[in-house]
Amino acid sequence: MTTVPTAGSYRGLGDVKLIGRQVRYEQLSFWLNPVGAIFTIGFSTVFLVMLGSLDGNAKVSFLDNIRMVQYYVPGFAAYGIMSSCYNLLALNLVNRREMGLLKRLRLSPVPTWILMASIFLSSIIIAALQVVLMMLVGRVAFNVHGPANVLPFVLAVIVGMLCFTALAVGISTLVPNADSAGPAVNIVFFILVAFSGLYFAIPPHSVLATVTGYFPVRHLILSLETTFNRTPGVTAWPWHDMGVMAIWAVAGIVLALRRWQWAPRRG
Amino acid sequence: MPAVSVAHLAKSYGHTQAVRDVTFEVARGEVFALLGPNGAGKTTTIEILEGFRDRSGGQVQTLGVDPADRRTQRWLRTRIGVVLQELAVEPYFTVRQVLTRNAGYYPAPRPVEQVIDLIGLREKADERVKKLSGGQQRRLDVGLGIIGNPDLLFLDEPTTGLDPSGRRQTWDLIRQLAGSGTTVMLTTHYMDEVEALADRVAVLAKAEIVAAGTPTSIGGRDAGAVTIRFVVPPGVAVADVPVAVTSVDDGIALIATEDELRVLHTLTGWALEQDHVLVGLSVSRVSLEDTYLALTREAE
Repeated sequence: MTTVPTAGSYRGLGDVKLIGRQVRYEQLSFWLNPVGAIFTIGFSTVFLVMLGSLDGNAKVSFLDNIRMVQYYVPGFAAYGIMSSCYNLLALNLVNRREMGLLKRLRLSPVPTWILMASIFLSSIIIAALQVVLMMLVGRVAFNVHGPANVLPFVLAVIVGMLCFTALAVGISTLVPNADSAGPAVNIVFFILVAFSGLYFAIPPHSVLATVTGYFPVRHLILSLETTFNRTPGVTAWPWHDMGVMAIWAVAGIVLALRRWQWAPRRG
Repeated sequence: MPAVSVAHLAKSYGHTQAVRDVTFEVARGEVFALLGPNGAGKTTTIEILEGFRDRSGGQVQTLGVDPADRRTQRWLRTRIGVVLQELAVEPYFTVRQVLTRNAGYYPAPRPVEQVIDLIGLREKADERVKKLSGGQQRRLDVGLGIIGNPDLLFLDEPTTGLDPSGRRQTWDLIRQLAGSGTTVMLTTHYMDEVEALADRVAVLAKAEIVAAGTPTSIGGRDAGAVTIRFVVPPGVAVADVPVAVTSVDDGIALIATEDELRVLHTLTGWALEQDHVLVGLSVSRVSLEDTYLALTREAE
């Protein structure tokens, strides 16, 4: 026999327990697809080892003569954040929406904020894992020490995660169906990553630096690189880079709030 | 108090009216079918009842609360179960994992093992979802709909894509749930499903309800003409048959009449007297499908 409830009469798992449980299942879902997991985690590791071995000891004259590999380590840590918080997340959201999974979750008693926070937290965990992995590889294989300035590094990582998470949610609302999700999300991302200086350092004030400077990819790479730089006199806080990322984060949030939907678009 | 109460429900998307002045009630423990062509407004109506979509006008109560009321929405979602048109199940989990996860969303779920048995996936319990057949995935989908032990279950075309045995299994499950007091609200395109399961039915066409009643009485199905069919005996001209034959199709005579008792008496009396065998003699009221098609055609 059902009784008419009063407001707040829900009795179930507490929200904190629910969020922990939901994150655990999100993680399980990611690791149960080994091809996806290995590709996501392995890509940055393989490229860091490959590029670091090829020209890791070359000096970058326009970056205070740091070794190239000292540029690559924070660069691929930045890539790890972007691939998890943007690429993986955007594809995940589109696929789930089009499969009806988001709609089913929305119709469950789990509050919306818990559902979304769990999905975001799971991407952030994978991103953090990649950052740690890049630092370990850098240290063990190339003797690159961790960030010279830990607090600015942590803040830049957090801002980067928030920026690319917001952009992933925003871009997912522009993708009309699961078939176009891969091309729509990946093409722009990989072009930007390539031209924003992931595989090679870009001289400041060059045309390429100016153009890619409008987008957040270059700023995440540069902000992490700045916090790794041990040259005396180099600023510890990459405020400008974090500011640009914050602006992009706001754009992503506005887009998501205007266009978000739980049901399949079938466009 | 009815499980569902809808009065003058309206929903529009911009200038498009998806649902207009829809009124009906679903009693507790009832199996209620909502029929209609694609785009008639069935899914919109159900989504409003679930609290998934807001309405533009009218009054709606689901299990005694307004589904759009944010204060009681979370409670309502613990008491309803939903099976969507889409196969909405994650591919990499096993059957048991996905049911266990969803059971944790509810304060008093059905035991996972019980649901596995109910949906007939005992042997596939540890199989990944992506390795299940389409029919098995659909059954798992139904399992996810009932894992929370709902008072009210929404089934949006639950047997689409199932083979005949899968359909019968799902029908048995729905009967079992209805027998234990669960209210079921169903949309389907299969009229045999409606006749097998539904206590009452409403037909939506062009955003409005055009008829409602029991499957045997809707649209005046229980009154009006019946059709008598038989194979015209060899060597007999249609003109020799002692009652008015409406049409002959491939040697089968069809008689449409509202006086079936008298017509049958005359026909069988004549056959006995003349020693004719009336092969395939049958008497049928207009089918639910014919009624449905007539109702939706009228609304076009």
